[in-house]
Amino acid sequence: MNRKPSLPAELLPAELLNAEQGVSLWRDAWLRLKRNPMAVAGGAVLILLALLAVLTPWIAPYDYRAQNLALGAAPPSAAHWFGTDTLGRDLLTHILWGGRISLAVGLVATGVALVIGVLYGTIAGYAGGRVDAAMMRLVDILYALPFMIFIILLMVIFGRNILLLFLAIGAVEWLTMARIVRGQVQALKQQEFIEAAVSLGLSRWTIIRRHLIPNTLGPVIVYTTLTIPSVMLLEAFLSFLGLGIQPPASSWGLLISYGAETMEEYPWLLIFPGCALSLTLFSLNFLGDGLRDALDPRTAKD
Amino acid sequence: MLRFILYRLLQAIPVLLVVVTATFFLVRLAPGGPFSAEKAVPPEVLRALEARYHLDQPLSAQYLGYLGDLLHGDFGPSFRYPGRSVDEMIFSGLPTTAELGLYALLIALVLGTTAGVIAALRPNTAQDYLPMSAAMIGVCLPSFLLGPLLLLVFGVWLEWVPVSGWGNVPGDKILPALTLASGYTAYVARLSRGGMLEVMSQDYIRTARAKGLPEWVVVIKHGLRGGLIPVVAFAGPAFAGLLSGSFVVETIFQIPGLGRFYVQAAFNRDYTMIMGTTVFFAVLIVAFNLLADIAAVWLNPRLRHQYRKPAA
Repeated sequence: MNRKPSLPAELLPAELLNAEQGVSLWRDAWLRLKRNPMAVAGGAVLILLALLAVLTPWIAPYDYRAQNLALGAAPPSAAHWFGTDTLGRDLLTHILWGGRISLAVGLVATGVALVIGVLYGTIAGYAGGRVDAAMMRLVDILYALPFMIFIILLMVIFGRNILLLFLAIGAVEWLTMARIVRGQVQALKQQEFIEAAVSLGLSRWTIIRRHLIPNTLGPVIVYTTLTIPSVMLLEAFLSFLGLGIQPPASSWGLLISYGAETMEEYPWLLIFPGCALSLTLFSLNFLGDGLRDALDPRTAKD
Repeated sequence: MLRFILYRLLQAIPVLLVVVTATFFLVRLAPGGPFSAEKAVPPEVLRALEARYHLDQPLSAQYLGYLGDLLHGDFGPSFRYPGRSVDEMIFSGLPTTAELGLYALLIALVLGTTAGVIAALRPNTAQDYLPMSAAMIGVCLPSFLLGPLLLLVFGVWLEWVPVSGWGNVPGDKILPALTLASGYTAYVARLSRGGMLEVMSQDYIRTARAKGLPEWVVVIKHGLRGGLIPVVAFAGPAFAGLLSGSFVVETIFQIPGLGRFYVQAAFNRDYTMIMGTTVFFAVLIVAFNLLADIAAVWLNPRLRHQYRKPAA
């Protein structure tokens, strides 16, 4: 019943050892994940943040555009929990709306990277030989390119278009995903069930879709969870430079950038958006680390 | 070894060529030019400017001309700052950036490796969780947030250090170096922990212990050599990144390094400056990756056989 004989028994959850029947990879992973308090906390925070982002239009305490110039920048109070900015706009409202954008950029750009990376890696790994060599040399060359500079150039040249931002970030982040998937597929290709599929006369595309891609899901999920925070950082960095999200839309990077300018007089404008970004990044990283330990015991930290 | 170095140098040529070509055509085919921002330049002045910087020639001629200059190590004149060459501007900022980068790298390597090794010696205990949680903070607090926060606490509230400048007052180099180092330190800590965990379970470590060597000799002499391989692989490209300057840290702390040129050049459409900084960065990356790979082969004898001549 133990699917991973290389792992010492004391590391396995008790439920797993007592189980009479085989335990699926997913159930096994879920049991491991549940025992990791940081990962569970990270997941809970993320669910909460996602709910807040979805419900923002209904729960935001003030109108997004409402200004109160007479009030100006006020410290946190009962009426404005996180204070207001120099135009008298409610900071909590802006953090909620900015969070929607920051999270959306994280998800969509990671999605772009995921699709390109998985397809590219699977094709390279399955084709093998010269096709594989050529495809991976291309990845090597792209790795060496100064992408940050290219993204900055793109944003300066073509304007601050949010679609372009998704594409630009996604186009950078797929490289590592492609490498991981290719390695997995290369190993899977040798196994009997793929030979069986070939001898059954399945088409290449069906084998890739039905047998190869589902078996690479573990590492792909892990790497995806760890890509989202790095994408969100990239967006925040670009917005900090004034190259990402454009006012009046808002993102956490943009709010931090304003906060940093006025931090000596109005420190809360820096601290609250900073906390929002850091909390999200913490949660994603802890969940990602937990998932890696749970889904991929060979590369687990312990 | 020589074979390996030659092979890697040959591999660098297409990479650099792709960088030069892609950047060259990307900036020139984009709408807007270096002189379009200036208010109402008379047409004859514009023509004179374009002639001076060869912008009136066909693209292919400009491209070949640029490649030719590049082979002589000439990045050309800056479009934005008349009378200054790109080489001169890059090398005027480099010493400051290099000093800052060196401090940050030293902090990252010393603090990061120490934390990683300490954590790896007793995995899954408080001795492991504490330094690794601290490293997670380094990963999740980006420099554009950490820098202002440190300034706010130590510069504005506590007034322990000056809020900006570089080399004017003693102590003004501490915060920039720490800010720049934090992310790298966290990464080094995680890498060295992983590397050490793997090495310390190897048979040769058991042998060293069985010989009766003291534990610290086992860790430092036998463990570190193998355990630090991932750190060495990371340190190469990391130092290349540090040498090319950090726009964020240099802006926040008002340091006259070369990080600001990257963003300024893009905003100004300063074609030669964009090309110069990009090529400079690409050369650094390629060079330091090569150095890191050489160091990895030197640290790990098992990699060496791959690059020996095959037996005839």
